[in-house]
Amino acid sequence: MLEIAQQVLNGLAIGAVYTLIALGLTVVFGILGIAHFAHGSVAMLGGYLTFAVMERWGLPFFASMAFAMIAGALAGLLIERLAYRPVRDAPHINAFIIALGLTMMIEGFNLLAFGADQVVIQTPYREVFNIAGIAVAELRVIVIFTACGLIGITALLIRKTKTGKAIRAVAQNRNAAILMGVNVERISQVVFGISSALGVAAGALIGALLAIAPGVGESLAVKGFAVLILGGLGSVPGAVLGGLILGISEAMAAGFISSAYKDVIAFLVMIGVLLLRPEGLLGKR
Amino acid sequence: MKQIPMFWIKGFGVFLALIGLLAVPSWLTLPYFLHLFILALIWTILAQGQNLIQGFVGYVSIAQAGFMGVGAYFSTLTSINLGWPVWCSIGLSTVFTGLVSLLVGYPSLRVKGHYFAIVTLAYNMVIFTILMTWKSVTGGEAGVPNVPRPVALDWFGVSIDFEGRSNPNYYFLVLGFAVIATGLCWLILHSRVGRVLVSIRQNESLAESIGVRIWRYKLFAFVLSASFAGLSGALYAHYIGFLNPDPFGVDQSLNAILAVILGGSGTLAGPVVGSFAVVLLPEYLRIADSYRLITYGFILILATIFLPRGLVPVISAAIGSGLRRLGVVRNG
Repeated sequence: MLEIAQQVLNGLAIGAVYTLIALGLTVVFGILGIAHFAHGSVAMLGGYLTFAVMERWGLPFFASMAFAMIAGALAGLLIERLAYRPVRDAPHINAFIIALGLTMMIEGFNLLAFGADQVVIQTPYREVFNIAGIAVAELRVIVIFTACGLIGITALLIRKTKTGKAIRAVAQNRNAAILMGVNVERISQVVFGISSALGVAAGALIGALLAIAPGVGESLAVKGFAVLILGGLGSVPGAVLGGLILGISEAMAAGFISSAYKDVIAFLVMIGVLLLRPEGLLGKR
Repeated sequence: MKQIPMFWIKGFGVFLALIGLLAVPSWLTLPYFLHLFILALIWTILAQGQNLIQGFVGYVSIAQAGFMGVGAYFSTLTSINLGWPVWCSIGLSTVFTGLVSLLVGYPSLRVKGHYFAIVTLAYNMVIFTILMTWKSVTGGEAGVPNVPRPVALDWFGVSIDFEGRSNPNYYFLVLGFAVIATGLCWLILHSRVGRVLVSIRQNESLAESIGVRIWRYKLFAFVLSASFAGLSGALYAHYIGFLNPDPFGVDQSLNAILAVILGGSGTLAGPVVGSFAVVLLPEYLRIADSYRLITYGFILILATIFLPRGLVPVISAAIGSGLRRLGVVRNG
């Protein structure tokens, strides 16, 4: 029983990061209809940047992460402007192929700039508390709270601000939003900025929690989409639920079956949901 | 002057290309170039398979390299561990890969567009993880050394062997398979099945509403595409002679997509041109390995934005309009 509680806790931390990734993906997908597959690679770029800033300038973890998030948001603007906007009116699959090309480019850039060795971001949060027999690592708790904070801020941004209202309007009906005077091009830029910043934060947290290495970005993007498939398209509560399910089932698999096959089990869960409930757990039929 | 129908010009072009490919070993004296041509033809089989699902049906599958790995490992392991004849292993690897894809294809084809792409990508990752981790069977990252080559054939007393790299006989073997694969795609494209597949790409809901059981056709295209990949994997393994999971990662699946897009998705010549481009370009440009990903990604993006239909339609349109201006051809 303790063992299970322990794995659930471990799963919560990684699940929170998956939710963060999925949130960035679902915002872009909801507004622009683009399956932004390069999101995972952007996240890895952010993780590497955080690491580099900490090493070079000696800034603390969260300051470095904030810096990387700003850089990531700018990268997101560039990606939207240069790569996605030219194919805005083409079939959606073209945008997806662009995303694959971007993935290759960003992965290639990461490899060139930061090397092929895996990188672990060292944080000062190394305490481990013992609560009722469960080992609670300080780092995991901080990761969970950071992710929750970012998700909350994004939700507030979308719910309460004027820009957020415009974002929701474009998601509901693009043409009507244009007629109401919403500047759709600016909204796409904002959305890409937010999404990339969220991705970068997730990358930094992954770097602190596990490690960053070539190829992790792709599997992160796949897991982000797996979360969306699990939870249901365009549903933020669905993304949270899906992230938690994926994180916990992965931790359980790693703890009780085999850590080498934990990714396989995560994908099996996704395929199972597709077979039984293709619209996702909280999606509308 | 009597005008020639366009059809004959196309046929003549195919004929010339075939003669050229058959003559390759006699003028290509450098063994390394022959090696590259063999790889390009193996890639052609892979890309024709990719084109079936991506170009005809319009579903981008990102599992092609994974299925190539399934075929490669099946053929290698059955021939080494079970002592099956290599020819038999190669032949059955297509069947086995087809069966695997039949199992996994059904759930994935319930979703469309991007989601299908992502689910197939997950398959590729699962296959790669299994190849890497199931060490007792696949040998893990260290791989399988000394993959046997196909047994020499006896052609009226002349022995045709397939030993060593850059072997002209192996070139003719893969050329034969590439021609068969392309011919099969031609037959499918010009049949009722092919018209259904293309109609799914053009308007899936309409095709479904007319009463076509589209999932059967989609599954058929997916399974056939995977079988092609399995065949190319088996041919690759028995040619290279050493097998590890590296060539079967997601990157290679992306390269297969690049080959199809660059050559011309939905055309028959496109995957051929694209495969040669993907295999030969980095050698020609002397791209260092570390820049290869960036360059390929860049080409993929540029091609999608500026050349969405690929090289082959652009070139054939240019030739066609040139000939028409000269008054040599009429449409038909």
